[in-house]
Amino acid sequence: MSGGYNEIHPEPTTFWSKYIISFDHKVIAKQFLWYGIAFLGIGGLMALLIRWTLAYPGEAFPVIGHLLFPNSAGIVPPDSYAMLFTMHGTIMIFYAITPILIGAFGNYCIPLMIGARDMAFPMLNMLSFWFAFLSGVVLLASLFLPLGAAAGGWTSYPTLSTMIGSPGAGQTLWCVAIFLFGVSSTMGAVNYVTTVITLRAPGMGYFDMPLTVWGLWLTAILNAIFVPVLGAGVILLTLDRVMGTTFFLAGASATSGSGDPVLFQHVFWIFGHPEVYILILPAWGIVSDLLSFFSRKPAFGAKATALSMTSVSVLSTIVYGHHMFTTQMSPLLTQSFMTLTMTISIPSAIFFANWLGTIWKGSIRFDSPMLFSLGVVFVFGLGGLTGLHLGTVTTDLYLHDTYFVVGHFHYTMAASVLLGGYAGIYFWFPKMFGRMMNETMAKIHFWGTMIPLNGIFFGMLMVGYGGMHRRIYNPFVYDSLKRLMPINEMITVSAILMGAFQIIFVINFLWSLYKGKKAPNNPWNVGTLEWTIPSPPVHHNYDVIPVVKCGPHEFGNPNLKTGRDFQYQTEELVQGPV
Amino acid sequence: MDFLNLSVSTSWWELSKPPLDISTNGHLIDSLFAYTTVLAVFYFILVCIGLFGFSFLYSYKRNKTPLYTYGNKKKHLLITAFIGAAVFLSVDLNITRLSNNDLLDVFWKWPNPKTEKVLRVEVMAQQWMWSFRYAGPDDQFGTADDIVTNNDLRVPTNTKILFHLTSKDVIHSFFVPNVRLKVDTIPGRVTRVWWDANIPGEYDIVCAEMCGTHHYMMKARLTVYSEEDFKGWMATSEKLAMNTNNPDDKNLAWGWKWEY
Repeated sequence: MSGGYNEIHPEPTTFWSKYIISFDHKVIAKQFLWYGIAFLGIGGLMALLIRWTLAYPGEAFPVIGHLLFPNSAGIVPPDSYAMLFTMHGTIMIFYAITPILIGAFGNYCIPLMIGARDMAFPMLNMLSFWFAFLSGVVLLASLFLPLGAAAGGWTSYPTLSTMIGSPGAGQTLWCVAIFLFGVSSTMGAVNYVTTVITLRAPGMGYFDMPLTVWGLWLTAILNAIFVPVLGAGVILLTLDRVMGTTFFLAGASATSGSGDPVLFQHVFWIFGHPEVYILILPAWGIVSDLLSFFSRKPAFGAKATALSMTSVSVLSTIVYGHHMFTTQMSPLLTQSFMTLTMTISIPSAIFFANWLGTIWKGSIRFDSPMLFSLGVVFVFGLGGLTGLHLGTVTTDLYLHDTYFVVGHFHYTMAASVLLGGYAGIYFWFPKMFGRMMNETMAKIHFWGTMIPLNGIFFGMLMVGYGGMHRRIYNPFVYDSLKRLMPINEMITVSAILMGAFQIIFVINFLWSLYKGKKAPNNPWNVGTLEWTIPSPPVHHNYDVIPVVKCGPHEFGNPNLKTGRDFQYQTEELVQGPV
Repeated sequence: MDFLNLSVSTSWWELSKPPLDISTNGHLIDSLFAYTTVLAVFYFILVCIGLFGFSFLYSYKRNKTPLYTYGNKKKHLLITAFIGAAVFLSVDLNITRLSNNDLLDVFWKWPNPKTEKVLRVEVMAQQWMWSFRYAGPDDQFGTADDIVTNNDLRVPTNTKILFHLTSKDVIHSFFVPNVRLKVDTIPGRVTRVWWDANIPGEYDIVCAEMCGTHHYMMKARLTVYSEEDFKGWMATSEKLAMNTNNPDDKNLAWGWKWEY
C-alpha cells in the first residue's frame, strides 16, 4: 500500500525555511491553525456587532463602537450591517472553519495517522497555505475600500452582486479572494486525496484508517470536485462585473442581452451544498474517533460509519436544489430535490446510532475532548432534525430566508463544527506542541460555550418560526416582529457570553503553549499511529515507517496481557475467547 | 435586560408562534410544521436518552470494564439498519408525502380565472418597494385603465388572489407571513403564487431575500377588506385611475400581458 514517495527530507535550518516557506506538513498545519483562529476572532467580533444591532437597534456598540463607526456615533449603519453579515459568513466558512478543520487537522492528522513522513506533494501544500494567506489579505483589504466590502450576503446572488446592486470594488475583490481560496483548497484537496491513497503505512487498509482520516479524505474528495465549480461561478460573476458580459444579468438593466440570475444559484449551490458537508465531515470523523477513544471501547460499527459518511458525501451532490425551492423551479425538480434530500436521513441515522452504540456500555472518561465530542452529538442532532422542516417544500415556503434557516445551519455548520474543532484542538494539542492544555480551563470553556450556544441558535429557530426574516438591519421596522424583541435580546446576551468564554480558550491556548505541563508521547492512551512517536514528532515523523497490524479502535480487549487497555496499531491483534 | 423580566405575561413560546393565519390553507403548513416537530422531538429525545443516559450509566466511575465489541455482529447491524429504516419510513417518507399532497392539491393547483372567482394581481419588485397592478375595468393588464399602487396591496376576503411577479433590478422575495407563503421575484422571469385571505385587517408584506442596504425597509401593507368594502375601494380607484393615469408616464408602463 505504501507505493508512494515517502523518503526523509532534510531538515530545514533557517528560520525562513523552517517557519515561513515550510514544506513540513506539521508546520503548515500550525500556520493554518493560527490563521484560522485569527479569522475566527474577526468573524466572531462581526457576529457580535450583528447581534448587538438586532437586539439594540440605534444604540452605539459598546467600547469599540465609536472607533469602528465614528461617522454614526458608534451605531452600526445599515450599509455596514450588510457588509458585516456578508463578511461574517464568508470569513467563518472559508477563512475560519476551512483552515482549522481542513487546513490544520487535515495537514496534521493525515500523514501522522496513516504513518507517512509528509504529504504526497509538500510544495503544493506550502503553496496551498500561501494562496489562502493571499486570499485572506485580499478579503481584508476589501474592508478598507471607499465603498466598503461586499455586501450581498455570502451567497452573493446576482443581480445584487453585479454592478446593478454592488457598484463598489468590494464585491470584485470578494470574487478574487474566493477564487484564490478555491485555488488553495483545490491544491490541498488533491494533496490529501493522493496522500491517503498512496502513503498509507504498509498493512493499513482503508478500513484500518482512523475515522478522522475518513472524514478528511471524503472532505478532500468533495473539495476537489466542487470547489472548482464555485471558482467557475465567481469568474463568470467577475466577468459580468468588469467585462460587461451578461451571464447572470436580466431585467431592466440587461440592456445588452439577457442572462439568468438563477443560473448562478444553481452553480453556487451545486458547490454550496457539498460545502456544508465539506465543513462537517472532518468534525464527524473526529467525533467518531474520540467517542471510541474516551469510551475505551471499539467504535461501534466503524465500517458502517465510514460507509454512511461516504453515502452522505455522494448524496450531498444531488440535493442542492432544496436551497432554491422559492425560486419556483419546475415541479419535477422541486419534488425530486425534496425526496433526495430526505434520503440523507438514512445514513445520518445510521452513524448517529453508531455514535450512541460506541458510548453504550463503555467506560467513559469525560476529558475535555470527549465533552466537546458529546456536545457535537447533541447540537448536530438538533441541527439535523431541524433540517427536516426545511427540506420539506411546503414548510420551507414559510421558513425559507427566515431565522429558522439561520438557526438550522448554525447548529449544523457553526455549532457542530466549532465544538468538533475544539475537541480536535484539545485532543491533538499535546502532539502538536508537546504540552498539555489546562483541563479545568478547558471544562469551563466547554460549558461556557455549550450553554450560550444553545441560547443563541435555539433562539434563532424560535424567532425564525415567529416570522422574522434574515439579513434585516432593524426587525422592529415591522410591527409584527416587535414581539420578538425579548428573544432577540436573549440571543444577543447569549452571544456576548459565549464570546467572553472564548477568551478562556485563548488564554489556555497561549498559556499552555509556553507553560503547559510537558506532554508524554501518549497522554490519552490511544493506539493510533501518531501516539507511537514523541510529542511533538521529529521533522520526518517516523524513523522507520510503521507496519500496521490492527484497527485504530482496539480498546478493552479482555485478552490483553500488556497491562494497557488498548493496543497500538503496530501490534498484532491479540486473539482469544471474548 | 427586559428579557430577564419574568413578570412578562406572555411566555417565549407564545411569542415565537407565527403570526395570525389569515388564509384558508396556511394551516396546512402550520400543521405539517407541527407534525414534523413532533417527530423530530421524538427522535431527539431518543438521542438525548442515549447521550445522557449512557453518559450517566457508563461513566468511568460506574463502569470500569467496557464491553469489547465492534458492533458488527448480525444483531447490531440489524438494529442499526432498523433505526435507519425507521427514521426514513416514519419521518421522511411521511412528511414528503404530506408536503407533496399539499403542493399538488392546493399550492400548485393554480386557480383558473375563467372558471372561478379570482383576483389577478401583477407585482413588480424593485429596490426597495413593491408595486401592484390590477387589471381595471377592461380586465386587461398593461392598459391605461390599470390600477397601480405602491407598497399598498388591497384584497377582498373569500377570493383567490393569483399573483404574477417579477423584479426590475435584483432578486426579491414576496413574503406574507400571515399566509405562510413566499416566492422569489426574479428579474427576467415571472413567478407566481396564489392565496386567499379571510380575516379583514392590515398585515405586513416583507421582502425575504437580501436585496441591498435597505432590504429591511422593503415592506408593503396588505389590507384585507370584506368583499363589499373591496368593491367600494375598487370603484373609487378605477375612477381615479381613469382620470389620473397618464399614458405617457413611463413609471406606470411596467405591466405585461397576462399569460397562462
